[in-house]
Amino acid sequence: MDNRIDMVNVDKSFGGVSVLSNVGFSIQPGEVVALLGANGAGKSTLMKILTGVYSRDAGSIKVEGVEVRMSNPREAAALGISFLPQEISVMPDMTVAENICLANMDQFGRGAFVDRAAMRAKATKILGQVGFDHVSPDSYVGHLSVAEQRIVEIARALASDANVLVMDEPTAALSERDAQAMFEVLRNLREDGTSVVYISHYLGEVFEISDRIEVLRDGRNAGSFHTAETDVESVLAAMLGRAAETLFDHRQAPSGGEAAFEAAALGWKDKLSDVSFTVSTGEIFGIFGLVGSGVEYLGRVVFGAEGRNVRGDMRLMGSPYRAISPAHGKACGLGYVTAERKADGILGDLSVAQNLASAFWPEYRNGPFASRHAEAALAQKWIKGFDIRTSGPDQPVRLLSGGNQQKVCVARWLHEGVRLLILEEPTRGVDMGARRDIYRQLAEFAAQGLTVLVLSSDAEEIAGLCDRSLVLNRGRVVQRFGRGADASALLAATALTDPAEVEKELT
Amino acid sequence: MTMANTPTRHAERLRGGFLSGPASGVLILLGFYILLVVAFAIFTPFFATTRNAMSIASNVAFIGMMAAAGTPLIIAGGLDLSVAAVAGLSGVLIALLNAAGWPIWLAVGAALAMGVGVGLANGLLSTTLRLNPLIVTLATMSIVGGAALILTGGLTRPVMQPSFNWIGQGRLAGVPVPAILMLSVYVGLAFVLRATHFGRYVYAVGGNPEAARLIGLPVMRVQMVLYVISAVSGAVAGAMLAAMLGAAAPAAASPHLLTVIAAIILGGTSLAGGRGSVWGTLIAVLILGTLNNGLTLNDVSSFWQDVTRGVVLILAVGVDQVRLHLQAR
Repeated sequence: MDNRIDMVNVDKSFGGVSVLSNVGFSIQPGEVVALLGANGAGKSTLMKILTGVYSRDAGSIKVEGVEVRMSNPREAAALGISFLPQEISVMPDMTVAENICLANMDQFGRGAFVDRAAMRAKATKILGQVGFDHVSPDSYVGHLSVAEQRIVEIARALASDANVLVMDEPTAALSERDAQAMFEVLRNLREDGTSVVYISHYLGEVFEISDRIEVLRDGRNAGSFHTAETDVESVLAAMLGRAAETLFDHRQAPSGGEAAFEAAALGWKDKLSDVSFTVSTGEIFGIFGLVGSGVEYLGRVVFGAEGRNVRGDMRLMGSPYRAISPAHGKACGLGYVTAERKADGILGDLSVAQNLASAFWPEYRNGPFASRHAEAALAQKWIKGFDIRTSGPDQPVRLLSGGNQQKVCVARWLHEGVRLLILEEPTRGVDMGARRDIYRQLAEFAAQGLTVLVLSSDAEEIAGLCDRSLVLNRGRVVQRFGRGADASALLAATALTDPAEVEKELT
Repeated sequence: MTMANTPTRHAERLRGGFLSGPASGVLILLGFYILLVVAFAIFTPFFATTRNAMSIASNVAFIGMMAAAGTPLIIAGGLDLSVAAVAGLSGVLIALLNAAGWPIWLAVGAALAMGVGVGLANGLLSTTLRLNPLIVTLATMSIVGGAALILTGGLTRPVMQPSFNWIGQGRLAGVPVPAILMLSVYVGLAFVLRATHFGRYVYAVGGNPEAARLIGLPVMRVQMVLYVISAVSGAVAGAMLAAMLGAAAPAAASPHLLTVIAAIILGGTSLAGGRGSVWGTLIAVLILGTLNNGLTLNDVSSFWQDVTRGVVLILAVGVDQVRLHLQAR
């Protein structure tokens, strides 16, 4: 079969720094190709060239065998190439039909007016094509679930006759179950001959959905695999460029430390009820749940980010603790790393050094005054100790890659004033290298007596990192696991609903 | 991974450049100001005289005082539209209380206390109740401005106390006292923003309030303090104006509110919060004051001066956008 897209010997540099050199990439009709690589490997640059956002310095791009040169995303769209960015962009106050037909409004006109019936018909047809016809074209997109919004976005691309979809981390905002629904849509598309380029950090999904895996490393092709004939280890080896070590080091579980944090019958609004667990000093305790299970609230509730209206009792180091506010939580020895790094994690315009110092700012002082010097010394320590890639302590943190920003957000709380560190989705959207560094750093601090609570919807993360864990569903604890739980068991537990029957202590 | 930060490293190198460095906004503004001064000096008789420079300095002091305190507030994500109304009420209170037999400095103290009160009200309403500061301070502006009219019946009241009038009309080593007062506020605020932990909080709170809250920073307290500082600076500015004119008019300050906000924005402070500096504001205040002065000396009508000010503001904000774009690239 002929390739639909053929990129050959593509070069790109920014200000004299080579970002892509001699990169090739191709895709056939009806093929799903996963594009993998650590952050900075060049995968977004390559896709931005394919979708007309950047121009190439050298090399050729052929679409259906014809050499093309695109200077903006519109021209790429005219060739049938559509880009779906990581953040979902839909119009929440417009209907599904309007969203789908938005890019081609001129096709649905009657004079100056909009032909609603034609729009509805087109939307219904496309939704049927992707196997998603249970969504009414008249519902408001703001009322749909995130997964459904993602599918509306795909439908919108198809409405403009896209036959190549480039999707950047399409499941980052989705729970596992919602991701399954989206994969179903992708499978339908594949049947219809649509090509999909799939950029993701989740190896599990890549193996589930892709036909072929293309790996980039440091701006070059680093391996091409037929998904059916390879395994995670080989792909990791290509991405990391060395023998693939596992993400998780073997950890000696702490031997019966004292209870550092106890939660008894914790509840909050209708999102959490009767959640009880105990974490020992130096332990890494995991809370696993899909999005919507309450896993996205528990950490905030404990830390005080959701205010005082928390039911149940908590004890920290043996003394009663009440959730009041983040400032109070911090004063009691809690730390919290948010799931939404960009939205409420980093202080984007402030420097790396100031971000690192921010949680305990008054300690970095010179007499009564703030000390840039002390902040910079702290930053140097972490840049070295945590391998934070930055041009220096004064670089604004927003210019760092996602993984390095996350390291800053974690390191900010690795301070002797913090006894219990709560991390929510600690490695979402973070590359493999940074992921491993973060896991290692947490394990190291836990060994020195830091108690860690990890909340995540990534089953592999909880299974690999945590000493013990529990699974939440609909705001309740549905199962508890000891060390060595595997990811599939955690995932299976999310289907459980009745805690009275299934809750068994496996530790 | 080694490739990961090379583009950003390159961007970092660019930052050293004239147009894209972190302090470049202030530098561009300063360059523009120098050009303006040179141009006026060449084409305008009497412009380049000590006497005229001192006249500019004392004329901008009152607006500069309010703009100084408004800057950290806007950096921290707040906004104070009531500041000029507070200045008006402050002058009126001083005049009326003094006329009623209060010692002049006690009357000034009462005016400052009024400032603290309005600042606390602005702060409480916009932080604890999470009302939009634009609406809150628009409302207090109206209330405070109305109160000044009620108290005076709309009339201008004299204040004649030599020791008091000195803060508006006096000189120290040849420099007008209002200009010295204004400058000391800039130096003080610049020091606080640069060298104290409170200054760090201001930028953190304005740059990302939710992140600052989750880090456990005292977000509300920071904004509260800044609202109080802003209103008190309004009260001080009002006292200065009354001292300068020897009289307090209830609406004396209100027309200058937009100039205050314009100066802050012209100075490179982002209305979205998180960025800005008081030095930028000071240069902007000087630019606007010098422009007024120079155009007046050239017999340009004050109507055209308004138009010019608007054009300068749009130009400045436009240049700033281009600069930020260069920085982000």
